[in-house]
Amino acid sequence: MSAPAAHFETPQNRREAAELGIWVFLATELMFFGPLFLAYAAARLSYPEGFAEASRHTDVVIGTANTAVLLTSSLFMALASRSAQLGRRRAASLLLFITALLGTAFLVLKAMEYFDEWQQHLVPWLDFRFEPGLAHPASLFYLLYFAMTGLHAIHLTIGIVLVLVFAWRLRSHSPASMRLQIENGGLYWHFVDAMWVFLYPLLYLVERA
Amino acid sequence: MKVTSIQTLLATWGGLLLLLALTTASAYVHLGLGNLLLNLGIAAIKVALIAAIFMHLVRSSVTVRLAASAALFFLFILAFLFFGDWLTRPSNPAPWRAPPSDAR
Repeated sequence: MSAPAAHFETPQNRREAAELGIWVFLATELMFFGPLFLAYAAARLSYPEGFAEASRHTDVVIGTANTAVLLTSSLFMALASRSAQLGRRRAASLLLFITALLGTAFLVLKAMEYFDEWQQHLVPWLDFRFEPGLAHPASLFYLLYFAMTGLHAIHLTIGIVLVLVFAWRLRSHSPASMRLQIENGGLYWHFVDAMWVFLYPLLYLVERA
Repeated sequence: MKVTSIQTLLATWGGLLLLLALTTASAYVHLGLGNLLLNLGIAAIKVALIAAIFMHLVRSSVTVRLAASAALFFLFILAFLFFGDWLTRPSNPAPWRAPPSDAR
Protein backbone atom coordinates (compact mmCIF):
# COMPACT_ATOMS: atom_id res chain seq x y z
CA MET A 1 0.00 0.00 0.00
CA SER A 2 1.32 3.42 -0.88
CA ALA A 3 1.75 6.09 1.78
CA PRO A 4 -1.13 8.57 2.23
CA ALA A 5 -0.90 11.96 0.57
CA ALA A 6 0.92 14.60 2.60
CA HIS A 7 -2.27 16.40 3.68
CA PHE A 8 -3.58 13.16 5.27
CA GLU A 9 -0.35 12.07 6.97
CA THR A 10 -0.84 13.37 10.49
CA PRO A 11 -4.03 14.08 12.48
CA GLN A 12 -3.12 17.76 12.39
CA ASN A 13 -2.86 17.67 8.57
CA ARG A 14 -6.14 15.79 8.28
CA ARG A 15 -7.88 18.34 10.47
CA GLU A 16 -6.59 21.22 8.36
CA ALA A 17 -7.49 19.49 5.10
CA ALA A 18 -11.05 18.91 6.33
CA GLU A 19 -11.38 22.50 7.56
CA LEU A 20 -10.12 23.81 4.22
CA GLY A 21 -12.56 21.56 2.38
CA ILE A 22 -15.50 22.96 4.33
CA TRP A 23 -14.39 26.54 3.68
CA VAL A 24 -14.17 25.86 -0.05
CA PHE A 25 -17.67 24.39 0.13
CA LEU A 26 -18.87 27.48 2.02
CA ALA A 27 -17.34 29.65 -0.71
CA THR A 28 -19.56 27.90 -3.26
CA GLU A 29 -22.50 28.41 -0.90
CA LEU A 30 -21.77 32.12 -0.90
CA MET A 31 -22.03 32.02 -4.70
CA PHE A 32 -25.46 30.44 -4.14
CA PHE A 33 -26.76 33.16 -1.81
CA GLY A 34 -24.78 36.06 -3.30
CA PRO A 35 -26.70 36.43 -6.59
CA LEU A 36 -29.98 36.55 -4.66
CA PHE A 37 -28.63 39.50 -2.67
CA LEU A 38 -27.64 41.18 -5.95
CA ALA A 39 -31.09 40.55 -7.43
CA TYR A 40 -32.47 42.17 -4.29
CA ALA A 41 -30.15 45.17 -4.77
CA ALA A 42 -31.30 45.61 -8.37
CA ALA A 43 -34.98 45.44 -7.50
CA ARG A 44 -34.66 47.72 -4.47
CA LEU A 45 -32.66 50.32 -6.42
CA SER A 46 -35.42 50.32 -9.04
CA TYR A 47 -38.32 50.47 -6.62
CA PRO A 48 -37.29 52.08 -3.31
CA GLU A 49 -40.85 53.02 -2.25
CA GLY A 50 -42.33 49.67 -3.20
CA PHE A 51 -39.67 47.82 -1.24
CA ALA A 52 -40.12 50.07 1.81
CA GLU A 53 -43.87 49.49 1.82
CA ALA A 54 -43.56 45.75 1.21
CA SER A 55 -40.99 45.43 3.99
CA ARG A 56 -43.36 47.16 6.43
CA HIS A 57 -45.76 44.26 5.85
CA THR A 58 -43.27 41.71 7.21
CA ASP A 59 -43.58 40.60 10.84
CA VAL A 60 -40.71 42.45 12.51
CA VAL A 61 -41.40 40.91 15.94
CA ILE A 62 -41.02 37.34 14.73
CA GLY A 63 -38.12 38.36 12.49
CA THR A 64 -36.21 39.94 15.37
CA ALA A 65 -37.00 37.07 17.77
CA ASN A 66 -35.83 34.59 15.14
CA THR A 67 -32.56 36.45 14.69
CA ALA A 68 -31.92 36.22 18.43
CA VAL A 69 -32.85 32.51 18.39
CA LEU A 70 -30.41 31.82 15.57
CA LEU A 71 -27.56 33.80 17.14
CA THR A 72 -28.13 31.86 20.37
CA SER A 73 -28.13 28.56 18.47
CA SER A 74 -24.72 29.51 17.12
CA LEU A 75 -23.47 30.03 20.68
CA PHE A 76 -24.65 26.52 21.63
CA MET A 77 -23.09 25.08 18.47
CA ALA A 78 -19.76 26.69 19.38
CA LEU A 79 -20.07 25.38 22.95
CA ALA A 80 -20.83 21.87 21.60
CA SER A 81 -17.74 22.06 19.40
CA ARG A 82 -15.70 23.07 22.42
CA SER A 83 -17.05 20.18 24.53
CA ALA A 84 -16.25 17.69 21.77
CA GLN A 85 -12.70 19.05 21.57
CA LEU A 86 -12.35 18.60 25.34
CA GLY A 87 -13.72 15.04 25.13
CA ARG A 88 -16.88 15.74 27.12
CA ARG A 89 -19.38 13.35 25.59
CA ARG A 90 -22.55 14.14 27.58
CA ALA A 91 -22.08 17.90 27.45
CA ALA A 92 -21.40 17.83 23.70
CA SER A 93 -24.44 15.67 23.07
CA LEU A 94 -26.72 17.89 25.18
CA LEU A 95 -25.42 21.10 23.60
CA LEU A 96 -25.93 19.70 20.10
CA PHE A 97 -29.47 18.79 21.05
CA ILE A 98 -30.17 22.34 22.29
CA THR A 99 -28.70 23.70 19.05
CA ALA A 100 -31.09 21.54 17.02
CA LEU A 101 -33.98 22.57 19.26
CA LEU A 102 -33.27 26.28 18.68
CA GLY A 103 -32.98 25.66 14.95
CA THR A 104 -36.36 23.94 15.01
CA ALA A 105 -37.86 26.83 17.01
CA PHE A 106 -36.66 29.15 14.25
CA LEU A 107 -38.35 27.02 11.59
CA VAL A 108 -41.62 26.85 13.55
CA LEU A 109 -41.70 30.65 13.94
CA LYS A 110 -40.83 31.02 10.26
CA ALA A 111 -43.67 28.67 9.28
CA MET A 112 -46.11 30.73 11.39
CA GLU A 113 -44.88 33.82 9.58
CA TYR A 114 -45.34 32.19 6.15
CA PHE A 115 -48.87 31.19 7.13
CA ASP A 116 -49.72 34.77 8.19
CA GLU A 117 -48.28 36.10 4.96
CA TRP A 118 -50.34 33.63 2.97
CA GLN A 119 -53.48 34.79 4.81
CA GLN A 120 -52.57 38.41 4.06
CA HIS A 121 -52.23 37.59 0.34
CA LEU A 122 -48.52 38.36 0.31
CA VAL A 123 -47.41 35.20 -1.49
CA PRO A 124 -46.70 35.87 -5.19
CA TRP A 125 -48.89 33.77 -7.53
CA LEU A 126 -51.18 32.70 -4.66
CA ASP A 127 -53.81 35.43 -4.98
CA PHE A 128 -51.26 38.18 -4.30
CA ARG A 129 -52.89 41.48 -3.32
CA PHE A 130 -51.25 44.80 -2.54
CA GLU A 131 -51.92 48.53 -2.67
CA PRO A 132 -52.52 49.57 -6.28
CA GLY A 133 -49.47 51.12 -7.91
CA LEU A 134 -47.08 49.25 -5.62
CA ALA A 135 -48.26 45.73 -6.44
CA HIS A 136 -45.51 44.97 -8.95
CA PRO A 137 -42.54 46.05 -6.80
CA ALA A 138 -44.13 44.46 -3.73
CA SER A 139 -44.53 41.16 -5.56
CA LEU A 140 -40.85 41.35 -6.54
CA PHE A 141 -39.97 41.96 -2.88
CA TYR A 142 -42.01 38.97 -1.72
CA LEU A 143 -40.66 36.78 -4.50
CA LEU A 144 -37.15 37.51 -3.24
CA TYR A 145 -38.30 37.25 0.38
CA PHE A 146 -39.62 33.72 -0.12
CA ALA A 147 -36.69 32.67 -2.31
CA MET A 148 -34.09 33.91 0.18
CA THR A 149 -35.76 32.85 3.41
CA GLY A 150 -36.78 29.57 1.74
CA LEU A 151 -33.23 28.82 0.65
CA HIS A 152 -32.08 29.71 4.16
CA ALA A 153 -34.73 27.44 5.71
CA ILE A 154 -33.63 24.51 3.52
CA HIS A 155 -30.05 25.04 4.66
CA LEU A 156 -31.12 25.26 8.27
CA THR A 157 -33.13 22.03 7.95
CA ILE A 158 -30.03 20.25 6.64
CA GLY A 159 -28.08 21.74 9.56
CA ILE A 160 -30.62 20.47 12.11
CA VAL A 161 -30.49 16.93 10.65
CA LEU A 162 -26.67 17.03 10.71
CA VAL A 163 -26.53 18.21 14.31
CA LEU A 164 -29.03 15.55 15.44
CA VAL A 165 -27.03 12.84 13.65
CA PHE A 166 -23.90 14.05 15.48
CA ALA A 167 -25.72 14.01 18.85
CA TRP A 168 -26.98 10.49 18.13
CA ARG A 169 -23.61 9.19 16.95
CA LEU A 170 -21.96 10.50 20.12
CA ARG A 171 -23.78 7.71 21.98
CA SER A 172 -21.63 5.05 20.36
CA HIS A 173 -18.59 7.02 19.17
CA SER A 174 -15.96 8.75 21.25
CA PRO A 175 -15.93 12.56 21.25
CA ALA A 176 -12.37 12.39 19.95
CA SER A 177 -13.49 10.52 16.83
CA MET A 178 -16.48 12.85 16.34
CA ARG A 179 -14.56 16.05 16.91
CA LEU A 180 -13.80 16.84 13.28
CA GLN A 181 -17.36 16.21 12.14
CA ILE A 182 -18.85 18.36 14.89
CA GLU A 183 -16.38 21.16 14.34
CA ASN A 184 -16.92 21.25 10.57
CA GLY A 185 -20.67 20.79 10.88
CA GLY A 186 -20.47 23.80 13.17
CA LEU A 187 -18.78 25.86 10.46
CA TYR A 188 -21.77 25.13 8.20
CA TRP A 189 -24.20 26.05 10.99
CA HIS A 190 -22.47 29.38 11.60
CA PHE A 191 -22.43 30.12 7.87
CA VAL A 192 -26.21 29.64 7.66
CA ASP A 193 -26.54 31.93 10.69
CA ALA A 194 -24.35 34.55 9.00
CA MET A 195 -26.57 34.54 5.91
CA TRP A 196 -29.57 35.32 8.11
CA VAL A 197 -27.69 38.19 9.75
CA PHE A 198 -27.74 39.93 6.35
CA LEU A 199 -31.25 38.82 5.42
CA TYR A 200 -32.78 40.25 8.59
CA PRO A 201 -32.16 44.01 8.06
CA LEU A 202 -32.67 43.79 4.29
CA LEU A 203 -36.06 42.09 4.54
CA TYR A 204 -37.51 43.37 7.82
CA LEU A 205 -36.01 46.80 8.42
CA VAL A 206 -36.43 48.79 5.18
CA GLU A 207 -37.58 52.29 6.19
CA ARG A 208 -39.39 51.37 9.38
CA ALA A 209 -39.08 54.91 10.77
CA MET B 1 -4.77 22.86 19.27
CA LYS B 2 -6.24 25.70 21.27
CA VAL B 3 -9.81 25.70 22.53
CA THR B 4 -11.89 28.88 22.65
CA SER B 5 -12.80 29.77 26.24
CA ILE B 6 -16.41 29.86 27.43
CA GLN B 7 -15.96 33.51 28.41
CA THR B 8 -14.96 34.44 24.85
CA LEU B 9 -17.92 32.56 23.38
CA LEU B 10 -20.37 34.17 25.82
CA ALA B 11 -18.92 37.64 25.21
CA THR B 12 -19.25 37.13 21.46
CA TRP B 13 -22.88 36.07 21.87
CA GLY B 14 -23.57 39.09 24.10
CA GLY B 15 -21.98 41.36 21.53
CA LEU B 16 -24.08 39.84 18.75
CA LEU B 17 -27.33 40.38 20.68
CA LEU B 18 -26.29 43.94 21.52
CA LEU B 19 -25.66 44.64 17.83
CA LEU B 20 -29.02 43.09 16.97
CA ALA B 21 -30.73 45.44 19.45
CA LEU B 22 -28.82 48.37 17.96
CA THR B 23 -29.74 47.55 14.38
CA THR B 24 -33.42 47.05 15.26
CA ALA B 25 -33.64 50.24 17.34
CA SER B 26 -31.83 52.33 14.74
CA ALA B 27 -34.30 51.21 12.07
CA TYR B 28 -37.01 53.18 13.90
CA VAL B 29 -35.02 56.44 13.72
CA HIS B 30 -35.34 58.18 10.39
CA LEU B 31 -31.84 58.50 8.93
CA GLY B 32 -32.58 58.11 5.23
CA LEU B 33 -29.70 56.37 3.49
CA GLY B 34 -28.01 56.22 6.90
CA ASN B 35 -30.44 53.48 7.96
CA LEU B 36 -29.31 51.19 5.15
CA LEU B 37 -25.62 51.93 5.70
CA LEU B 38 -25.94 51.41 9.47
CA ASN B 39 -27.87 48.14 8.99
CA LEU B 40 -25.34 46.77 6.52
CA GLY B 41 -22.41 47.97 8.63
CA ILE B 42 -23.75 46.30 11.76
CA ALA B 43 -24.52 43.10 9.82
CA ALA B 44 -20.93 43.09 8.52
CA ILE B 45 -19.57 43.46 12.08
CA LYS B 46 -21.83 40.63 13.27
CA VAL B 47 -20.70 38.33 10.47
CA ALA B 48 -17.07 39.25 11.16
CA LEU B 49 -17.59 38.29 14.84
CA ILE B 50 -19.20 34.98 13.87
CA ALA B 51 -16.44 34.19 11.37
CA ALA B 52 -13.57 35.22 13.64
CA ILE B 53 -14.72 33.62 16.92
CA PHE B 54 -17.45 31.03 16.29
CA MET B 55 -15.83 29.85 13.04
CA HIS B 56 -12.44 30.46 14.70
CA LEU B 57 -10.81 32.10 11.70
CA VAL B 58 -8.60 33.99 14.17
CA ARG B 59 -6.72 30.78 14.87
CA SER B 60 -7.12 29.05 11.50
CA SER B 61 -4.20 28.37 9.17
CA VAL B 62 -3.26 30.84 6.46
CA THR B 63 -4.61 28.47 3.80
CA VAL B 64 -8.04 28.41 5.41
CA ARG B 65 -8.08 32.19 5.79
CA LEU B 66 -7.14 32.51 2.13
CA ALA B 67 -10.01 30.23 1.12
CA ALA B 68 -12.41 32.34 3.17
CA SER B 69 -11.08 35.56 1.63
CA ALA B 70 -11.30 34.04 -1.85
CA ALA B 71 -15.03 33.49 -1.30
CA LEU B 72 -15.49 37.20 -0.56
CA PHE B 73 -13.19 38.18 -3.41
CA PHE B 74 -15.24 36.27 -5.99
CA LEU B 75 -18.44 37.73 -4.58
CA PHE B 76 -16.96 41.20 -5.08
CA ILE B 77 -16.09 40.38 -8.70
CA LEU B 78 -19.69 39.27 -9.23
CA ALA B 79 -20.99 42.43 -7.56
CA PHE B 80 -18.62 44.64 -9.54
CA LEU B 81 -19.73 43.21 -12.89
CA PHE B 82 -23.34 43.24 -11.81
CA PHE B 83 -23.40 46.90 -10.73
CA GLY B 84 -21.29 47.85 -13.74
CA ASP B 85 -24.06 46.49 -15.93
CA TRP B 86 -26.96 47.68 -13.81
CA LEU B 87 -25.90 51.28 -13.28
CA THR B 88 -24.97 51.93 -16.92
CA ARG B 89 -28.03 50.85 -18.87
CA PRO B 90 -30.98 53.11 -18.04
CA SER B 91 -32.31 52.97 -21.61
CA ASN B 92 -32.41 49.18 -21.76
CA PRO B 93 -34.34 48.05 -18.69
CA ALA B 94 -34.45 44.47 -17.50
CA PRO B 95 -37.57 42.58 -18.61
CA TRP B 96 -39.14 42.56 -15.15
CA ARG B 97 -38.99 46.35 -14.79
CA ALA B 98 -42.06 48.57 -15.09
CA PRO B 99 -44.55 46.32 -16.87
CA PRO B 100 -47.23 48.27 -18.76
CA SER B 101 -50.05 46.69 -16.68
CA ASP B 102 -48.83 48.44 -13.52
CA ALA B 103 -48.58 52.15 -14.37
CA ARG B 104 -46.51 54.06 -11.83
